[in-house]
Amino acid sequence: MTSLGGSSSSSTEYTVRVPKNNSKKYSIMAFNSGDKVNCSTWTQARMERDMSNRRMYGGEETEEGAAGSEFGKKQREEARRKKFGIVTREFKVEDQPWILKINGKAGKRFKGQKKGGVTENASYYIFTQCPDGAFEAFPVNGWYNFVPQAKHRTLTAEEAEEEWGRRNKVVNHFSIMLQRRLREQERGPDDEDEEGEKGGKKKKKKKGARGGDLRIHDLEDDLELSSDESDSSREEGDNKPKKKESVAKGKGKKKKKKRGSDSEANEDSDDGDYEGLEVDYMSDESSSEEEAGEEKAKSNKEDGPKGIDEASDTEDESEEEKQNEEEGKEEEEEEEGKKTPVQMEKKKKRDSSGESDTSEDSDIDGEAASALFMKKRTPPKRGGGRGSGGSSRTGSRPGTPSIDSASTSNTLRAAASKLEQGKRQVLGGSSDSPAAKRLKMEPGSTATTTQSPAPSGKSTPQPPSGKSTPSSSDVQLTEEAVRRYLIRKPMTTKDLLKKFQTKRTGLSSEQTVNVLAQILKRLNPERKNVNDKMHFYLTE
Amino acid sequence: MSEKSEVDLTGAKKNTGVWLVKVPKYLAQQWSKASGKGEVGKLKIGKKPGKTDVSFTLNEDLTCLSALGEKTELVQAPQEHSMLMLSVGGQTLAVFTETTADEISLEGMVVQRAECRPAVNESYVKLKKLQMEVSTKPKRLTEQIARPVTNNFKPVSNHVANVEYEKKKRTEGRMVRADRQQVMDMLFSAFEKHQYYNIKHLVEVTKQPVTYLKEILREIGLYNAKGTHKSTWELKPEYRHYHGEEAN
Repeated sequence: MTSLGGSSSSSTEYTVRVPKNNSKKYSIMAFNSGDKVNCSTWTQARMERDMSNRRMYGGEETEEGAAGSEFGKKQREEARRKKFGIVTREFKVEDQPWILKINGKAGKRFKGQKKGGVTENASYYIFTQCPDGAFEAFPVNGWYNFVPQAKHRTLTAEEAEEEWGRRNKVVNHFSIMLQRRLREQERGPDDEDEEGEKGGKKKKKKKGARGGDLRIHDLEDDLELSSDESDSSREEGDNKPKKKESVAKGKGKKKKKKRGSDSEANEDSDDGDYEGLEVDYMSDESSSEEEAGEEKAKSNKEDGPKGIDEASDTEDESEEEKQNEEEGKEEEEEEEGKKTPVQMEKKKKRDSSGESDTSEDSDIDGEAASALFMKKRTPPKRGGGRGSGGSSRTGSRPGTPSIDSASTSNTLRAAASKLEQGKRQVLGGSSDSPAAKRLKMEPGSTATTTQSPAPSGKSTPQPPSGKSTPSSSDVQLTEEAVRRYLIRKPMTTKDLLKKFQTKRTGLSSEQTVNVLAQILKRLNPERKNVNDKMHFYLTE
Repeated sequence: MSEKSEVDLTGAKKNTGVWLVKVPKYLAQQWSKASGKGEVGKLKIGKKPGKTDVSFTLNEDLTCLSALGEKTELVQAPQEHSMLMLSVGGQTLAVFTETTADEISLEGMVVQRAECRPAVNESYVKLKKLQMEVSTKPKRLTEQIARPVTNNFKPVSNHVANVEYEKKKRTEGRMVRADRQQVMDMLFSAFEKHQYYNIKHLVEVTKQPVTYLKEILREIGLYNAKGTHKSTWELKPEYRHYHGEEAN
């Protein structure tokens, strides 16, 4: 190293050496500066090639110890491949990505992909300064871009798309992953189908709590029982309340109609059916999902008489409410109107009361009514059964609920209350009687309904369970309730959960899950597999 | 293969700083031709107040290019180069090495990036011209065939291939029946290698006439007329003992 003196700028000269016979191959490990990687802090690091792309050629060949055919099988295979023009790219180990693990299992993980084109037109050299001051230059063999690998769970592409569609509605984003996790817990007994629904259900719970969203849905809009799913008959486009076989829980959360995307396939051809309809809010879900289900309809019908009474009762109530509130936006068909008014009511209530998750329906009139509605709403969403074409409800509706003769309403109410009584056999706490009373009271105060509950099947509202809830919800998660369900028809855990919606029972989703699990343990129902899903049922 | 190599982190711990220098192809070629200790040139770092001036001078003996074909003697690689210093900003670059024994070690971090640019003089321009000519030459060439393809063949009394075949047959002669036991041994050893054999292949292996072979096979083996191994012979279950099978 010579230093040249005498110039105004000091310059030093170094010799550059390019050592030959390098046993070592130099490569570049590139990290994004945003990842803030500091190599000096690493205590331990392991790196290996990511061999996941290697197709196991050897797999098919050896059967029973070189027993699989013989004589030029390899050649024959190769010849076949050539004939068909199948070119398999050679698996080069040097081109495979690296997997870098820092600080053991709990530390960070990086994946290093080889960057192409680095050595094509220019060469990179690494200049290191030697102790003697000279520089040694080593050619760079490869450039790998290392990116950190996420350890946390992420959504799959389909799920991500779903969430994207709901981005305007979801306020609480943290619940998304929570739901997914809960979904996976349930995955054990249930099938994948239910996943979306359940998650959706829970999610909705939270969303509904926002109170600000006006949605014309039935609580049970997307409660689908696994065994009853019928794919193609789902109707879309309308905010028709769907009658569900399941009994609504008192929470009365407005759930977004979930498209049941995971489980049901909607016919594209149905998309345009409801295009011209006036609908309240063109949300992805509300307009699109209707769980169709002839079966549902039928089963709803069975419950019909009771349910209808109740439902109509509800309708009455809802009508009243409506009169009180403005309903300018409703547009629903007369038929479904029944439901709709209820929904609307609920919605309005929600708006006004700004309900939170645990339904604070404890308010008096309004809340009570909405609670009632919720309960009754079981309404089978009927998608398939009722005519699709959603007719739109005009704004006049709010003001003028069609009024049945008082007599009918009275009888309906009476029937409803009887039903209520009958159902509430249990421990029914306070919520029962108040509800019943409310029921009775309400009719008295207002004119009644318009839409006669379409016999199409309201399912029986769920009798309040024994647990008393803070709110005036009618539905409780009790053994009795579960027993009733299971006797009636086989259900999966997911379905059961749907029945005991958190908004109605006042329990958090975790509590619901726990309590339900305990109840199931006590009941010890029989199991059978329907459609690959584990269903529980009881025989009395 | 999934043995993970423990990465030797001594370089990282020492925080050795290295330079990453981008060097033109021709220069890299010259460097690879370096002899002896490998000295290729001199690096001059001038620290003027305000900026750092770095330049590289190639050793004289390395300036003669030889890789470009005919005109090389006239062309010389430029000697003077300037090094443009760049920042390492958006990326954190580390250098790791791999030995032939799959040992990985982290050599250090890149503290400075540089680009080696030749001083543009006549020799460089000539060099570039040459390079361009070479690269613009089309990779595919159209040639005229002297003797075009014909499908007209003259009649031949006996084709070449046929003649050879017959000669081969004559020399080899017919296959002689060997001892039964010997043949069986041959078959057993063959079946040890592979489970399914076509009769033709067995003939090839054992060099026995087909009928004789079939007789023996009928005794010790089975014929698979259907299934994945179409028309193949395999040993009877009592005669075979494959590892994989036993596991099953």
